[in-house]
Amino acid sequence: MYDMIIIGAGPSGCFLANEYVQKGMKCLLLEAGEHYQRHTYPRSELTGNSKLYWSGGIELNSRADIGFLRPKAVGGGSIVNQALLDPFDDIAFDAWREKSKLNFFKKENFQPYYEQVLNNVPTQEIPKEFRNRNAEIFKEGFEKNGYQCAPLVRAQKNCQYEKGNDCIECLNGCRIDSKQSSAITALPKALDGGLELRDKMTVIKIEILFNKCYVSAVDEFNEQYTFESGYITLASGAIGNTKILKMSGFDKKLPALGKNFYTHPQFMSLAFYDEVINSHKGPFQAMKSDDANFRKNNFKLENVFGPPVALSMLIPSFGKSHMQRMKDISKIACIEVAIRDFIPGEIKVNSKGKVKIIKNLKGIDLETKQKGLEAIHNIFKSTGAKEIIDGQFGIGLHLMGGCGIGSSDSKSVTTENFHLHSSRRIFLADSSIFPSAPGINPSLTIMAQSLMASEKILKEVS
Amino acid sequence: MKSLYLGERAEKGLIKLGTVIIPGDKDLPSFSQLEQLQEIDIMLKELPKDDREGLIILLSILSLLPKFIIKVLLLIIEKGATVNGPIGSPFRLLNMGLKGPVFTLYYSNNSEQNQEILNKLNYATQINMKEEDLMLQKVKNNELIENPNQEQIEEIFNNAKKNQKALRNIPLSSRVKQVQNLLITIRDNEELIIKKIQEDTKKSAGDALVSEFFGVLDYLHFLVDNAEKALKDEKIKTPIALLGKKSRVYYESLGTMLIISPWNYPFYQAIVPIATSYICGNITLYKPSEVTPLRGLIEDLLLKAGIDLDFIKVIYGDGKVGSQLIDQRPDKIFFTGSVNTGKKIMQQAAQYIIPVELELGGKDASIVFEDCNLKRAAKGVAWGALTNLGQSCTSVERIYVHSAVYEAFKTELLNEVRSLKQEISKDGDFGHMTSHMQTKIVAEHVKDALSKNAKLLTGNNWDYESDAIPPLVLEDISEEMLIYNEETFGPVLPLIKFTNEKEVIDDINASDLGLSASLWSKDKAKCDRVTRELNVGNVSVNNVMLTEGNPYLPFGGRKYSGIGTYKGISGIRSFAISKSVLIDADSSKIEVNWYPYTEKKYIGFSLMTKYAFTKGLLNFVKFALKGIGLESYSQKAKR
Repeated sequence: MYDMIIIGAGPSGCFLANEYVQKGMKCLLLEAGEHYQRHTYPRSELTGNSKLYWSGGIELNSRADIGFLRPKAVGGGSIVNQALLDPFDDIAFDAWREKSKLNFFKKENFQPYYEQVLNNVPTQEIPKEFRNRNAEIFKEGFEKNGYQCAPLVRAQKNCQYEKGNDCIECLNGCRIDSKQSSAITALPKALDGGLELRDKMTVIKIEILFNKCYVSAVDEFNEQYTFESGYITLASGAIGNTKILKMSGFDKKLPALGKNFYTHPQFMSLAFYDEVINSHKGPFQAMKSDDANFRKNNFKLENVFGPPVALSMLIPSFGKSHMQRMKDISKIACIEVAIRDFIPGEIKVNSKGKVKIIKNLKGIDLETKQKGLEAIHNIFKSTGAKEIIDGQFGIGLHLMGGCGIGSSDSKSVTTENFHLHSSRRIFLADSSIFPSAPGINPSLTIMAQSLMASEKILKEVS
Repeated sequence: MKSLYLGERAEKGLIKLGTVIIPGDKDLPSFSQLEQLQEIDIMLKELPKDDREGLIILLSILSLLPKFIIKVLLLIIEKGATVNGPIGSPFRLLNMGLKGPVFTLYYSNNSEQNQEILNKLNYATQINMKEEDLMLQKVKNNELIENPNQEQIEEIFNNAKKNQKALRNIPLSSRVKQVQNLLITIRDNEELIIKKIQEDTKKSAGDALVSEFFGVLDYLHFLVDNAEKALKDEKIKTPIALLGKKSRVYYESLGTMLIISPWNYPFYQAIVPIATSYICGNITLYKPSEVTPLRGLIEDLLLKAGIDLDFIKVIYGDGKVGSQLIDQRPDKIFFTGSVNTGKKIMQQAAQYIIPVELELGGKDASIVFEDCNLKRAAKGVAWGALTNLGQSCTSVERIYVHSAVYEAFKTELLNEVRSLKQEISKDGDFGHMTSHMQTKIVAEHVKDALSKNAKLLTGNNWDYESDAIPPLVLEDISEEMLIYNEETFGPVLPLIKFTNEKEVIDDINASDLGLSASLWSKDKAKCDRVTRELNVGNVSVNNVMLTEGNPYLPFGGRKYSGIGTYKGISGIRSFAISKSVLIDADSSKIEVNWYPYTEKKYIGFSLMTKYAFTKGLLNFVKFALKGIGLESYSQKAKR
């Protein structure tokens, strides 16, 4: 019998678990993915895509034009992301306050928690001398077009660029533990504090009976286990939390469950140059847009790149012409537009427990994409690109909402005290409770919000 | 290509589709030239069942179509995929579903060929690993300690001495936890381990799984559960003459333990002694047989389990390396192997008074009494003689059958043996001989027996050369044959007729070897009688080779079969060294047995001794009174 079972070992789950055990709670952290060590991370895109994400790499929306990358590993998204830590601005918090009708969504209220996270997670600005040519093109293009950009700050400690390390390899987990994933920041402290972690354990159902919580899960061999606890914290992200709650029948009392799903759809554009660019070398993402006008228009540009399989899927056609293109990937520069989406999607679960995601890019969101693409083309054209290919396929990396927070029990799922409207025994504080899309990388705020929530949750359970 | 998920047809479809998408050119190979196509299983394993089945059906359909039709289809799909809204959805799905696996397999797999392809794309990336991770890389690159020269061997021992101190700082509870991690690591790496064992030994998958893989996990499970109990400080009784004092036994690490293992069970004989030695806190030096080194496997598993390789060194090399290691004076030697090598090791160790634990050969008998279930006995004996193709020290090598049931048993045994399948695959009962040297010995023994009028009942088709030796059932065996006296270590089943119990016991006990035996009978009293009479280390009653199946039972041989036991609680302790401790309190007291030895004390002590060792309550009281008197006299006695 545990005091608390935490479901999902991503940033929120690890940070919350640590707060709980430090207060003496007996906790169990369940994670469907594997607990990797730096030397056991997958070494190829093939293995990485298959093992570190749900459904073998990618899940598609119903129209098959946006693919969602849903991480599955101890450390969650912080294992596979680019570790961007950006605080939210007033625009984001104002929108949240308005939608949720909760007044504590203010920058000044989050500030102490942002600081607390950053005290525990080392960050680094990518040093100028290690920027690669892709980053320089990004910067040059911004300057020529009068856009503002800034160097990137990432959660990392010692990437040893001087030794020629290429961060693109760390998209399957950082093999030198430089990337500060929650698996190496909050989790070890929580484990030292007595947290019990069980990986490769997929939760299939939660139940509450006579003031006790029962969590049913299956291991990698499909053997079933049931764990008992006083309380549950759901930290499996937008899709995970929604799926578990729906499969457990909670949707009957929570009409808004699965609704208001946002994902910051991202579209990569590739530009071919005459010169060798080697976008895959070094930090591979060193700059970001920092432009008020972009923000007003609900998009931002990122200085990204992808490994060969990802690129092969973006380059159209097949056969010899496609192969020829692939031989030029060292001459590709790449920029991505990330859209702050306003038209929500919905997460559904069918009778077999399969997730179906309705999320269409239309209306204002489609206009935002066009504006972003226009800026990207301006940047590429002003820096001498020969040819530009716009990726036709959207990618959803920031999976938010589905269990949105708010005061209304018909329009939201989670209360201001971070428990379900329908149960005081089930808590949530991860990205699934986001009321809307902030248009800013959510990682830092997920951790800060979890710390903030932990205070209310600990009060609630004591 | 051998995918576990795709059928033959879907495989064909995948290759066809792949070749349309990636036809190859002057720089790059075509999709069909990929060496690691079976890695599609990594992908398929993680796909949701519905998606996987859909893909397999799709690929099977494609296998029936000519390439130019596939090409046209792909063009239509691409066009359709650009249509916005729900109409384009199925096209986009197909576009992803067909191109995704092909591009993924081609541009990213775990082979060297993939590196060549990426080089052609001018795409090379790297991460410099941390120092402590470099060893892992070395294991991967096979940069192992191989045939070290004298200087390197001395360095290994110098480092071992230094590391003993570091290892002492890791408490027993942590070492137990690490061995638990090792258990999990091994459990999760079944495929890799079985493959490695089979590569080196040529044994059947079943043999590798049952005796080595399962056997190791079973033992580690026992070890993790019992190590703390076996190694914790022991409270020992203190006799009344030493009233007021405490006695303890501490189990301490030996220092540096040298383990030399044979080729018949290379995984079991590595992990079992290494884990026991490590849990006991020894710096462990392990030399596998040069015939079956399982290169890099042990290091890989230890590292994955988080065990520091400074504490466990795997040293590859032949007998000469083993001898050089002994000259560096390890604190104990644990050797498993042949009688001859065992003698040499003991001789060399004698120069330095190094304790040895020897697990040597056997010529193990199975006794089939007239009152047993013959069918079960025949099946058991066949397994005992043929498991691992007879290459076990406890293989049944002599089958004593009571004359009353001899013919009936022979028929059962022949039926059983003839029904078995020699195949290395998962569907085979036994594989091939591991070492050709051993094949020659089996040939010599069988030829010798046949020249002395033995009869070969099965395996007449063997050419005395091939390592795929079939089961060889022999009869009319006599004492002057090699096969009667010496360890054959092959799939031989020599049948010997007997008529009475005493005769068979005498015969077995006359052997120089005394490892194990098995017997088959309904009569419990007879079984117990024979078990006690046999001069061997291990007996399985109505079963065969099963004492090894219980990790709680100590295992060891008698006579030339070896010295000492391992496994069981006493076996754990054989990798440690005990220290006896007697604790008294600090005081002004002067002990009775200390000087001065005056005449008065002599008389008192003599009387006390007499009372102490004579039975009866009165004597006990007299002993106590005398003791108290002597104590008080000792405090003031002066010269």
